[in-house]
Amino acid sequence: MDDDGKPERVLTKHRKYLMQYALFHVRDPSVAEDAVQETMIAALAQLHTFEGRAQLRTWLTSILKHKIIDLVRRRAREIPADALSLDGDYDASDEAFNLIGRWKEQPSDWGSPDAALESRQFWRIYLECCKKMSERLATVFSMREVMGMSAEEICKKMEISPSNLHVILYRARLSLQSCMTRNGFGANRA
Amino acid sequence: MQTVLKAMFSCQEASRLASRAMEVPLGPLERRVFALHLMMCTGCVNFSRQLELLRSASEKLPEKLEIEDTDAPAT
Repeated sequence: MDDDGKPERVLTKHRKYLMQYALFHVRDPSVAEDAVQETMIAALAQLHTFEGRAQLRTWLTSILKHKIIDLVRRRAREIPADALSLDGDYDASDEAFNLIGRWKEQPSDWGSPDAALESRQFWRIYLECCKKMSERLATVFSMREVMGMSAEEICKKMEISPSNLHVILYRARLSLQSCMTRNGFGANRA
Repeated sequence: MQTVLKAMFSCQEASRLASRAMEVPLGPLERRVFALHLMMCTGCVNFSRQLELLRSASEKLPEKLEIEDTDAPAT
């Protein structure tokens, strides 16, 4: 353990991080709060199984991932099926493409990936634009890209078809891409 | 026209293929049509690269939150 305090104190130190992580996946702060709360409770109960070899934060995050998925599933069951239809999600395609399916504004060259990932401007715009995705797009997108779950796993957990998954991820990516472009990322390149 | 052939000229269809390829391998015909499209369209080449970059960024996000956590108070 990396602290002199009681287990509760040690866990509390990671609370803010866990909250930020949860908020990235679910938009509703009270849901994120619930997920973090449940993670803390589970962590306290299982603290004796924590071997200390892994980082405490990594261990907590892995518990949190499961809690987020559970909560999202539970919520999905409470929402009437038609509220989950794809029509509710923002579809950036109409804005991105003209009538014959060509880009209205050609995606530009964002330059070297390494340079982008080092750039403060990139991260600021990226985080900002992620927040603008609708909750369902954001949840599925981050299950895939942040948690690194396989497409199959996500379909099973979220009870959606593979083609639904493709549509959701496409919309999420396109909205992120066009938001970043609108906010000027890559604009000053030749 | 078959949807897959639309991707020859339509950036909307081609970008859908670019996204789907991030999850599953494309079929042989899709792959060929997509490759042809990319030869003619810089916009879609850039879009595909952007998707890769967005993936790398998302993978790094947990580290990033960690840095922000120690650096500055969240807003």
